[in-house]
Amino acid sequence: MKDEAQVSEKFAKYDPKLTTRPRIVIGMGLRGFFNLIKLNKKGVWNLALVFLIYLWSIVFFVLMAGEGNVYPCEQMNSEFKYCQPIAYYEDLGLGGIRLFLVTLAAIASGGLIANDMNDKSLHLYLSRPIGRLDYLIARFIPIFLLLIFVTVVPNLITFMTQWSNSGLEFDWIKNHKWLMFDIIIQGIFYSTSYSIIGLTFSTLINREYRAAGAFFLFVYGTNIIVEIFHSFVKDDRVLLLSIAHLLDIVSFKIFKAEYYFTSFGDLKGIELSNIEIFGALTIIIGGCGIFVNWMISQMEENK
Amino acid sequence: MIEARNVIKKYGSVTALDDFSVEIPKGKIGILGPNGAGKSTFVKIALGLITANSGKVTVLGESLDKNSVDIRRKIGYMPEHDCIPNHMSGVEFLIEMGLVSGMDTPNATQRTHEILGHLQMGDEKYRKIEEYSGGMRQKIKLAQGLIHGPEIIFLDEPTSGLDPKARLEMLDTINGLTEIGNTNVLLSTHILQDVETVCDHVIIINNGKLQMKDNVKELMKRQNDFIQVRVGGDIDGFVDILKNNKINVTTDGRILRVPYVNDQTFQQIIDAAVENNCQLYEMERSKVTMDNIYLEVVE
Repeated sequence: MKDEAQVSEKFAKYDPKLTTRPRIVIGMGLRGFFNLIKLNKKGVWNLALVFLIYLWSIVFFVLMAGEGNVYPCEQMNSEFKYCQPIAYYEDLGLGGIRLFLVTLAAIASGGLIANDMNDKSLHLYLSRPIGRLDYLIARFIPIFLLLIFVTVVPNLITFMTQWSNSGLEFDWIKNHKWLMFDIIIQGIFYSTSYSIIGLTFSTLINREYRAAGAFFLFVYGTNIIVEIFHSFVKDDRVLLLSIAHLLDIVSFKIFKAEYYFTSFGDLKGIELSNIEIFGALTIIIGGCGIFVNWMISQMEENK
Repeated sequence: MIEARNVIKKYGSVTALDDFSVEIPKGKIGILGPNGAGKSTFVKIALGLITANSGKVTVLGESLDKNSVDIRRKIGYMPEHDCIPNHMSGVEFLIEMGLVSGMDTPNATQRTHEILGHLQMGDEKYRKIEEYSGGMRQKIKLAQGLIHGPEIIFLDEPTSGLDPKARLEMLDTINGLTEIGNTNVLLSTHILQDVETVCDHVIIINNGKLQMKDNVKELMKRQNDFIQVRVGGDIDGFVDILKNNKINVTTDGRILRVPYVNDQTFQQIIDAAVENNCQLYEMERSKVTMDNIYLEVVE
């Protein structure tokens, strides 16, 4: 009885000291990230894919990197295909890593918003002291961090390996600051783009596994269709319709290298203006962002 | 506590709130109204989830135009529909809701256990929510609205879908927790008895307009017994005789309502009919309930 009375008094005199909105959002994001890599049924798949990406990176680009593929490539653009490390940085697809990356992005992002929509807990989150955009940022953070972990970090490991091969000279780092910077920019770019697209599918198809499947098919399906279509129309602008090609084109731009893509075994160069590339990117990523925001606003209004 | 001034909210061609104005005092307030009356729209506007086309709303003295998100620190919300994730335990879910409200982990954990203690949830609180009964799910929904110690909680149909026993328990819980925590309540419901049990004031909305605002105790006083009388002949004379005998009569066409004092009232009515020489067709004891008042206002 006495205990109960004490609890009641504490309860009655409760003085909430609530933190700021940015801290709430970051906290939500970090908890979401740790949920993605928890050792549970779903987290195990995520961790397995992360492991595969690291294994692939280390085996093919660190342990098996040939003597002939020594960085720096003097004529980066024309000799591009023979310069494995640079090719690796620029085109995550070359080592088959893109397959794992897209799979990871699809599986990890599929439930982030879909589960909240499905069990309607989204209404509870939106009734808290966070706005719609705050909620979206909080759901963006977990998948973004996970993808950063498998884009920037393995690339930096490869970077460190090259530094090691070059005799661990500090000057080498100083002379290749641009490469480290580009690796980070590229990782952020890939992670942001795939996260936004993943969240779009998670919102559009509010069933986790269907959303993940649709995301995967969207990336790889458009990729194959566009390559077939390109072989007929011979117009490089067609490539902008494939998110995988579009992201790779921008990735190559980040490294100031020319973009080549493989179509039915042939390596082909492309000619596209910056306006076309960044216009398409803005439309796709911006469209996804606007769409997700609109869908959530509709849920706010309706039960 | 909440003030709305000339609020208009339209969904396409449908007007949900039509120049709606109300001043809601602190305490426990019930919002009544039929489906589509505008109750939920008003609650969502007060919660800052949607914005009105025009008009002004202030909650706890703060204008929603300027501060529709931060005001939610002081507001709790319990939606009508099932909206709790099944894969979490009651404790995990409440802690998460506390953290999302801005509490730190130790506070959220402590408060979670305090609330669940008040809800008399023992080891069930560690079980997955998917294993909970309907009543327990409603309790958890209520608890998440109170976790951050809000000044006011919006309850949307809190007893919806509960059996009578669970309903009474829920109402007791609402009363208990909000009284201990000094929390104001805005209760939106179709069930009039819920308002009677929980609220001090009631507002009735229909067609997007305020129809009535009253103190529940005052309304309860109107819930008097009366005798419904149907007479033929000279009604005015009959009424005059009753009034001369100090009996207050209200008329609705040929139907009269005479307040029931005791069984002697029946004899007084018969005597008045005999004295006025009019036919007495019907005499039936009845009661004005909240339902009658509600239907009268809404219709």
